Amino acid sequence: MSAGTGSTVVLKGAHVIDPGQGIDTVTDVEIGSGRIARVGSGSVPAGAEVIDLAGAYLSPGWIDIHVHAYGTLGFAEPDAVGVYQGVTTFVDAGGPGIGVLDQFMELMSDLKTSLYAGAFIRPMGLLGLNFIEGNVRTLGDVPVTRWIDFAAQHRDMLRYIKCNAIGDYGPGTLKLTKGLAQILELPLYMHIGEFQMQNPKHLLAPEAFRIAEAGDMITHLYHGNLGRVIDGDGKVLPVVRDAERRGVILDLGFGGYNFSWDVAEKAFAEGLVPHTISSDLQQFNVVRPVKSLANVMNAMIRLGMNLSDVIARVTTNPARALSLTDRAGSLKIGQPADITVFRVESGEFEIGDCHSQVRKADKQIVPLRTFKRGEPFAVDMARGQDESNWFLQIAEDHIPAAAQRLSGRQREYLGSLAASLSKVDWELSSAERLDIDKALELQDIFHKLRVKQGLPLKDALRAVYACFLDQAFTMQIGLLLLRLERPFALRRLCDVAGAKIMAA
Amino acid sequence: MTMSGTPDPPAGDAIAVSDAAASPQTPSGSWQLLMGLHPEATKYPARANIEGESIVIFRTRAGFRGVQRSCPHMQATMMNAELVANDTMIRCPLHVFTFRLSDGKGVNCPGFRVRIYEVKEESGALYGRTAN
Repeated sequence: MSAGTGSTVVLKGAHVIDPGQGIDTVTDVEIGSGRIARVGSGSVPAGAEVIDLAGAYLSPGWIDIHVHAYGTLGFAEPDAVGVYQGVTTFVDAGGPGIGVLDQFMELMSDLKTSLYAGAFIRPMGLLGLNFIEGNVRTLGDVPVTRWIDFAAQHRDMLRYIKCNAIGDYGPGTLKLTKGLAQILELPLYMHIGEFQMQNPKHLLAPEAFRIAEAGDMITHLYHGNLGRVIDGDGKVLPVVRDAERRGVILDLGFGGYNFSWDVAEKAFAEGLVPHTISSDLQQFNVVRPVKSLANVMNAMIRLGMNLSDVIARVTTNPARALSLTDRAGSLKIGQPADITVFRVESGEFEIGDCHSQVRKADKQIVPLRTFKRGEPFAVDMARGQDESNWFLQIAEDHIPAAAQRLSGRQREYLGSLAASLSKVDWELSSAERLDIDKALELQDIFHKLRVKQGLPLKDALRAVYACFLDQAFTMQIGLLLLRLERPFALRRLCDVAGAKIMAA
Repeated sequence: MTMSGTPDPPAGDAIAVSDAAASPQTPSGSWQLLMGLHPEATKYPARANIEGESIVIFRTRAGFRGVQRSCPHMQATMMNAELVANDTMIRCPLHVFTFRLSDGKGVNCPGFRVRIYEVKEESGALYGRTAN
């Protein structure tokens, strides 16, 4: 039975925690027509479904302010780390830039989990190649007019503008991104912490704390790389304290590189605590060490944060930070019924950081079920870990099954695309040398042809993906083409373009 | 799956596709004894040295194969890597960067590559040489 279809469901007897409303007690929650109808005891409406949740906890649906659902770091099934892990709202932290926000919008519109864009300053979004993420040249141009037009049309989608405070090129990029965020009236969201193989002369992390204003966000608070928030004696840097006092929002952003037990324990002991708890989940860290937002919440419990404060940091606080309080992070009457049901287990557990350091824990939060606008989802923590969800590989030795279902127009388009691309050379020679201009050129060819042929963007994207990907991964189309060996790419496009349509 | 029918020529100009980049890598270098390794008695993966370089030898279903000692991403030791995809790929456990054992190409990490070593068993000993 789905509460999202107008039915009434009473969730009975859970320990309800809604920090925003000061609720922390055993009571009932009623869902009607996909919205919160009541919090508190009362009579069960006639015909309502009653779900006994005695012994479980219930909170507003969790919000993960930092995931990678789309693009080179994204998942084949982003919902696998969303509603299926207790998360009802998440933000893609930098997956799309202005050059691919149209692709992002088309491909991500069907998710069950509410997804917003934390758009990246770089036009292609995050490249997924650590060695060059800090290269100022890959910023390309910053088309302010295009940004303004996009924001005017899709205001609701944009929640922050992201940049990386890394690399050896000074704070100009941070200021430039801050400027764009001010123009668009959005918060600035900055990554701190150098990637481990890099050793710049001047660290940008302190600059990030200087530039950030109230409402701006800084992520990877407890990272253990260069540019930490604590000094060699474990004391919090004054520049970090100043930013905290100004109202800068500090975000956890666990990630595959960005959480160190050593830093976390010292900073936490000093009282430096994140305002929001986020996972930074992506292809390369979902197996370990991040696993899920719940695992990251458990790390905070292990540090000594109480349950209510942890819940606030995945509900009330991110809703405020993202200006989503009108629709998420609370069980207020009339809000969409986004709810996470979980239990707190006692036992012996292990939580690893990004430096292979493990801490034993005696409590863990385990999500059980999720309601998204009243629609129920059984939590399935293994779903996100499944290789098909995160292992992005090009189908080199076979044509993906999805190619069978392409329309004649899509095939015609692929043939034309092959012909146009055959006039261009490209090569991805190494991780250190990615020709961003070439990626944009390839993407431009993709767009011009589809516009000429009147093929909708989603159909064109799906056609190209179907040539090379078995799973429903999404990727900036210019980056996908660039990573393919050119002869193989042209041959495959021709093969699929020319194949007869088989029964789906 | 198979795609039936003869491909129609795509629209536009004729498309010239060179196979040069797709040609298989040819082994180079002479076979060298991998000192201290025994095909049966040694536990794999095992460290070895070849041409002055420390490498890691894996026993796969298709025989032995060598890879460079550390992942090109974050330099994690390949001793902790696992064989996947029916032993045709190797995966660094740190960030699941995965490489083909045939030619070392990064599968889910474009632009990354590991050096691969051919390994043969002969007279109760292992010999290796550079494959890519």
